[in-house]
Amino acid sequence: MTDATTAGTAAVKTGRPSLDLHVIGPIVALLALILIGALMNPNFLSYGNVTNVLARSAFIGIIAVGMTFVITAGGLDLSVGSMAAFIAGLMIIVMNALVPTLGTGWPTILAGMAAALAIGFAAGLFNGLLITQARIEAFIVTLGSMGIFRSLVTWLADGGTLSLNFSVREVYRPVYYDGIFGIAWPIIVFLAIAALGEIVMRHTAFGRHCAAIGSNEQVARYSAVHVDRARLAGYVLLGVLVGVATIMYVPRLGSASSSTGVLWELEAIAAVIIGGTVLKGGFGRVWGTVIGVLILNLIENILNLTDLVSPYLNGAIQGVIIILAVVLQRQKKATR
Amino acid sequence: MQPAPQTTARTATSAAHAPILALAGVSRSFGPVQVLFDVDFDLYPGEVHALIGENGAGKSTMMKILSGYLEPTTGEVMLDGAPVSFTSSEDAEDRGVVLIHQEFNLADQLSVEQNIFLGRELKRGLFLDHKAMRATTNELLARLETKTPAWATVSKISVPEKQMVEIAKALSREARVLIMDEPTAVLTRNEAEILFRQIERLKAQGTAILYTSHKLDEVARIADRVTVLRDGRHVLTAPASELSEDAMAEAMVGRELSNLFPDKADANAAETVLVLKDFSVPGIVENANFELRRGEILGFAGLVGSGRTELMEGLIGIRPATGEIRVNGKARQIRSVDDARKAGIAYLTEDRKERGLLLNQGMRPNLTLLALQKFSRILIDRDAEEKALDRSIREFDIRAPSREIKVANLSGGNQQKLLLAKTMLAEPEIVIIDEPTRGIDIGTKQQIYQFVRRLADEGRSVIIISSEMAEVIGLATRVAVMRTGRIAGTLKGGDINEDAIVRLAMGLEKKAEGND
Amino acid sequence: MGVRNAFKALAVMSMIALPMSAAAQDKATIGVSIPAATHGWAGGMNYHAQAAVNRLEEVYPQLDFVLATASDPGKQVSDIEDMMATRNIDALVVLPFESDPLTGPVKRVAEAGKWVTVVDRGLSEEGIEDLYVAGDNPGFGRVAGEYFRQRMPDGGKIVVLRGIPTTIDNERVEAFQKALEGSGIEILGMEHGNWNRDDAFTVMQDFLSKYPEINAVWASDDDMAVGVLEAINQAGRTDEMWVLGGAGMKEMIKRVMDGDKMIPVNVTYPPAMIASAIEMTALKFVSNAPVSGRFIIGSVLITPENAESYYFPDSPF
Repeated sequence: MTDATTAGTAAVKTGRPSLDLHVIGPIVALLALILIGALMNPNFLSYGNVTNVLARSAFIGIIAVGMTFVITAGGLDLSVGSMAAFIAGLMIIVMNALVPTLGTGWPTILAGMAAALAIGFAAGLFNGLLITQARIEAFIVTLGSMGIFRSLVTWLADGGTLSLNFSVREVYRPVYYDGIFGIAWPIIVFLAIAALGEIVMRHTAFGRHCAAIGSNEQVARYSAVHVDRARLAGYVLLGVLVGVATIMYVPRLGSASSSTGVLWELEAIAAVIIGGTVLKGGFGRVWGTVIGVLILNLIENILNLTDLVSPYLNGAIQGVIIILAVVLQRQKKATR
Repeated sequence: MQPAPQTTARTATSAAHAPILALAGVSRSFGPVQVLFDVDFDLYPGEVHALIGENGAGKSTMMKILSGYLEPTTGEVMLDGAPVSFTSSEDAEDRGVVLIHQEFNLADQLSVEQNIFLGRELKRGLFLDHKAMRATTNELLARLETKTPAWATVSKISVPEKQMVEIAKALSREARVLIMDEPTAVLTRNEAEILFRQIERLKAQGTAILYTSHKLDEVARIADRVTVLRDGRHVLTAPASELSEDAMAEAMVGRELSNLFPDKADANAAETVLVLKDFSVPGIVENANFELRRGEILGFAGLVGSGRTELMEGLIGIRPATGEIRVNGKARQIRSVDDARKAGIAYLTEDRKERGLLLNQGMRPNLTLLALQKFSRILIDRDAEEKALDRSIREFDIRAPSREIKVANLSGGNQQKLLLAKTMLAEPEIVIIDEPTRGIDIGTKQQIYQFVRRLADEGRSVIIISSEMAEVIGLATRVAVMRTGRIAGTLKGGDINEDAIVRLAMGLEKKAEGND
Repeated sequence: MGVRNAFKALAVMSMIALPMSAAAQDKATIGVSIPAATHGWAGGMNYHAQAAVNRLEEVYPQLDFVLATASDPGKQVSDIEDMMATRNIDALVVLPFESDPLTGPVKRVAEAGKWVTVVDRGLSEEGIEDLYVAGDNPGFGRVAGEYFRQRMPDGGKIVVLRGIPTTIDNERVEAFQKALEGSGIEILGMEHGNWNRDDAFTVMQDFLSKYPEINAVWASDDDMAVGVLEAINQAGRTDEMWVLGGAGMKEMIKRVMDGDKMIPVNVTYPPAMIASAIEMTALKFVSNAPVSGRFIIGSVLITPENAESYYFPDSPF
């Protein structure tokens, strides 16, 4: 770990003398937001608020880590929000159905979690196979599966809301609301996945292959990279991570409906791009994505905590900040 | 010494013979790196002027300054004797100075005609005047003696055809100065001949032509004057008639070039490492049979499009192929580059920018991509990678301004060396090198030939595919010649010469065989 | 007389109408165009529409129904045009996604001589429809406001969650604010929770961080109330405040019935209004009952005493 860090700084020193805005841009934006928030409202840095924001970020954050790999490899997945709703719906149905046999305790919940991961795996495989084997554009495939998953959950819920068995929910609830050492479980899971993701991206052959495929698929193919296999793995990984996010989401409100996870895909993609990953692929960084997710959630939090602008304009403020964050990075690139 | 008085003489005799485009004391830096040092240069109407130098000598930068893509850091660009500062390449084009890039600037999904008139479409009222554009395009294409139809989509036409379209586009702009960056690098002999005829015609019309090439025989033939750049400095400008090819090469390299090719070694006695039997790549290569011995350099010659590259791509599993592959006597199924790597076969592509290297990444990830499994158990060992990079930089003499530089910013020669290093990191027993020196200066060429020789001496077997006949003849102990998807014949030892290769490649030998 | 009773009366009328008209009438096709089930209330509305169509088709074999759900106004316009062009409908029951874009297309249906029933959201131009059935949005806000007033005679501090920014939401909130005027009740903050559980959860979390003292919450919708309750639960401030949702989600009605301290009452905005509208339109074709005019289904306060009559355990909402 120490070795890697020293090597990193050494490289920066020999490479570029000035601080690279491309690298520190998102961090600066995040710090600025934190400063603004702290000045605006004394409760902003309170334990409760910080926990709230981090825990809320977890769902999109976990998904965005997976999305970073898919985008780095030159792909895209628009279906993750619908997929999350679909997995949440099925997971609730599975757990409710298991109550008579397994009871209302942990066996049922563990079975539900396993189901969520399995469904996520299958959904990712579905997207990935259509993209790599049937050779259909990722945009089209996932646009299609976005509609499919969304309709399926509406159908499963009969247009309404699927609710988890009350007793099961009471047992499951701490998975979102409790934690250890005062850190909520969603935060722990999110940070663990982000750390793992960063290692996989930077220090494993899979991460290297994703970047190679994203920057030039032909070169990757001629360099003995199994292009289709790596791509497929990316979508499957993302599907499984959507499953993980759902496992953390269901205990929060204990329900799923057709409005669950709406626009999560765009938030996840925005977070990835704000974090400095290149939309057309070839370069990705997971830590940047984490910062991107935090930026998005902090904006919302600050707007709620203060009365600066009309709530009608919340979307506009978010939009401006997303564009600004990316413009800052691009400018540096153009002068290179 | 010679050119200076000549220049004055010319200026003195007639105003028509004043330089149309010139540089006076031009320097250019990119950040801390200076690439041009106080260069003087002039170009006259109706002359063909060759600009030569090694890769990284500053030719591209100089051409870009002349054509408005870059501004000089210091010094002046002069157009028609007056200082000018082009605001953009469009501005330069409007004033009659057009640069034709080595990587073409064509919109792939548009037709030839649409490309030629891109941004300057002819109109009648509010609507496009298709008739007039089609007529002009046909006329231009006819002048260039190309058979490409005006309606063809650019992505569907061949590389030389694209070159012709670029030239047609420049002609349609009524260029007074045509700057061409290695126009013949991608052309066959015939196509190059057509280009030369066209250049003669343009010259007769008074167009000034500046072009770069690594093919010195070509320069000697068509250039009126030659300017040599070395390490960003102007070395000499002289009439082509006064410079021998050797003199040009020496001026470029700055040292005497002894024998370009290393000595050959005989590998006839060694055991066979690779056998291909009835090997076909559907639609392209038919029933190829050949074998390769340990320590041998086998050449593959033939015209562009004769199926040499496709045969090798079939062998390494990039293209679907049928037939038998035996490596060291054992039959192998090769369905992917990974299979080929495991069988000890590596292929260096002819297209290093699109298939060989990740241009937007650094040297380290490029170097280890093919042999990445050697550097990773679960995690990649970055220290080992750095050490491998050190070793490769030393072994292959890769010259980079910094270790972190993006590969796109390396010169062609250094890219090719890096590609060689990357391939050798996989420790292949059999190395297939497609066009080992395309677009590379003569000094680096010599180095690469030495590397190839060393590979063979180490006991590896090498296949060299090249369109440069001299290269195949100079390196290989046997030469297979391909023609329209078949191996037309194999030449050995003393039988290897240009005439024999051309006969096989053109199908002349076949006729002779059929006669007896 | 109370709209619920009017609805019951109509149902009874339709029962009476059945035997005497079943054989006599010609075949008729009724088109029903409604927004898709994108949130709880709409889900309930879809359920009631489907249930009404099934019931009526069984009772009146001579009636044919075409039910289309649209996910956006453009899709809804296409649906209506398709119904006119390919199904040759005799009547249209429409719950417009938005008023403005649907006014023109619905007007053309009326001009073609078809019967038009508009539900819930009015069109931008008056006099197009033959029958108008709607909930009472200002009433919805007013009833809630009056309850706050009665419950907090000495004033208090409350927060408000609003729906998706629309006319409906504006009418409700304006009436609510008007009802509170001069009561000494202070609205600390209002944010949009978009009639969505997750958004409401987030907004309420931030309200809780921002305001140390909150006496009550007007969640203005039962889906949002679910998120709000969870956020209050998490903050451990359940003893400090109570929550008023709205629209009569079955789980919430159940809690009112059970006397839950945090959910003392609810306010109706019945998704079943679509069923009334379909049934009244059907009556036009199977009987001679006069059905045209305007029917506003008022919002009623649901208390533990009357909750049972508003509890539909089979509805998805």
